[in-house]
Amino acid sequence: MSENKKEVLLSLEDICKYFKVSGGTLKAVDHVTFDIHKGETMGLVGESGCGKSTLGRVAMGIYSPTSGKLSYKGEVLNLSKGANRFRYAKKAQIIFQDPYASLDPRMTVSSIIEEGMVIHKMYDEKRRKERVYELLEMVGLNREHANRFPHEFSGGQRQRIGIARALAIEPEFIVCDEPISALDVSIQSQVINLLHDLQEKLGLTYLFIAHDLNIVKYISDRIAVMYLGNVVELASSDELYQNTLHPYSQALLSAVPIPDPSAEAQKQRIIISGDVPSPINTPKGCNFAGRCPRACDKCRESKPVLQEIVPGHFVACHLVEPEK
Amino acid sequence: MAKDMNNKVLSVDNLHVSFDTYAGEVQAVRGVTFDLHQGEVLAIVGESGCGKSVTAQTIMKLNPMPPARIPEGAVTLGDVDIVNASEKEMQKLRGKEVSMIFQDPMTCLNPTKRVGKQIVEAIVHHTHMNREDAKAEAIKCLSQVNIPNPEERAQQYPHEFSGGMRQRAMIAMALSCNPKVLIADEPTTALDVTIQAQIMDLLAEIKEQVNTAIILITHDLGVVASMADRVAVMYAGKIVETGTCEDIFYRNAHPYTQALLKSLPSVDADKKDRLVSIAGSPPDLLDPPKGCAFGARCTHCMHICREEQPPEFTIGEGHTASCWLLHPDCPSAEERGEKDV
Repeated sequence: MSENKKEVLLSLEDICKYFKVSGGTLKAVDHVTFDIHKGETMGLVGESGCGKSTLGRVAMGIYSPTSGKLSYKGEVLNLSKGANRFRYAKKAQIIFQDPYASLDPRMTVSSIIEEGMVIHKMYDEKRRKERVYELLEMVGLNREHANRFPHEFSGGQRQRIGIARALAIEPEFIVCDEPISALDVSIQSQVINLLHDLQEKLGLTYLFIAHDLNIVKYISDRIAVMYLGNVVELASSDELYQNTLHPYSQALLSAVPIPDPSAEAQKQRIIISGDVPSPINTPKGCNFAGRCPRACDKCRESKPVLQEIVPGHFVACHLVEPEK
Repeated sequence: MAKDMNNKVLSVDNLHVSFDTYAGEVQAVRGVTFDLHQGEVLAIVGESGCGKSVTAQTIMKLNPMPPARIPEGAVTLGDVDIVNASEKEMQKLRGKEVSMIFQDPMTCLNPTKRVGKQIVEAIVHHTHMNREDAKAEAIKCLSQVNIPNPEERAQQYPHEFSGGMRQRAMIAMALSCNPKVLIADEPTTALDVTIQAQIMDLLAEIKEQVNTAIILITHDLGVVASMADRVAVMYAGKIVETGTCEDIFYRNAHPYTQALLKSLPSVDADKKDRLVSIAGSPPDLLDPPKGCAFGARCTHCMHICREEQPPEFTIGEGHTASCWLLHPDCPSAEERGEKDV
């Protein structure tokens, strides 16, 4: 949108996050590389267990990556050190999925929103109270709500409190981890509009994690599709929907039911059989090979890497060759 | 389509359901009327708390009474009066005449029993089959829902199944006695999109095979568009609009239905267009408003909407909506002084 769009805000380089579990190693995020540009919304989609939330938490600094490099505005972040982590937390915040579990039931709304400012020693007490009121109004609540407790609010209102809390310390980058999937349809659009307005007003950068593909397409500038810890396709949102190249993305997009009966009747749905395999001890070839309708021997032998097929459109698949 | 509009299997007439709580009487369902015909898919759509699940549970009488009460209305399944049926009679019906698929298959299967055994239980309860035959029947049911290696799978416990497989096992169990009515309460909400597509495909296939009537309860209008024959839109305990799938998506008349459809981003939506959102939140059913329940959030709200509940107006054959705007004496938009929204 703006001319500084190409300025890289956060860059993830070969990020891996493994968890040791009893059955072996769980590769939640496996060699993921991409940049997030300043002021854009980067969508991250995939089915449950594909590692999208883990990646969001790595980008936020909640998890430190097993290997790989995370840099913010060109500066390498060493988040294993507490002081660095603390400084980065001032810039990166998160909005959680479940507005019921993410707010402390024993804190008032004003202390929930104020807490971040207290921790980061921002403003004096009087100014902080004013900030709380400002934030409440910014997210569409009233200042009277400040002394209430979370249980007095509906799901949509709670999500607004979560957004106000994330905004309190004036971050530049916000990870939205499925912020609307727990909300009703009519409330979802309220929250989406709010996030959109705040982005324009405050120049925020979002990493928007979701499984609802229609919403992701609507809100994102670019979208990364994840499958079993890998990014399989990455493109601008229009390009991804018009020129879907990876077989998994194709199946994923065709599986989304459209709220239009005649379009539904005409649609050729690609149904992929089976379930997402376990991310523990993944196969040596392409992770999707077991479910892919077009898998060949090469797919079972070696892992495809993400390569640029069309400018700005990256795909990790042996069957998709770059145009020369 | 094996739809038979003359063969009514279920009829719900002016059903009211209330829950007595410490805070007072919650009027969860406030006058719901619909019929269900053989081989038909009726979708009930609405937001959480609109009473769609309570309606479904009342058809099976799964709500504990008290605190639930049915102050008014009738539910007739075949020739059985459900409202006045005893628990013993209900036990004969559940699973045999009407069965249900729930949202979360993990909490609905017994974790301590093998999947096959749970299905056998239902078959033995309702038919005079011996255990050996019932076992064979259970395996047949599992293969009907496309579970690979059904013999082996029947010997496993629910935790060994994945989410999609568990939902298939639930469907197998629900269909084991060939019920006339199948209630699917948010059957795909807990599943991923690719698995959702598999399950919806399966439900459509089963509908063709066994010709059961399906009540599909969901909040996902995409799922409705791909499966339903008829749709009932619920809001605050009432059906505000009902009609065929095309009526609801293309010729909708109630402002709530219109707002609900507009609040979804369309496939070719531009980022610059704002989503239409419905301001406010649904009313508290402890103290439902005197007039139209949607009045407070409606952009067309008139004086009468706050005072009196709108009656049902017929728009076309089988297409009705409850809104004062449809009254023949209703002033036009210019006369009401509304700007084109």
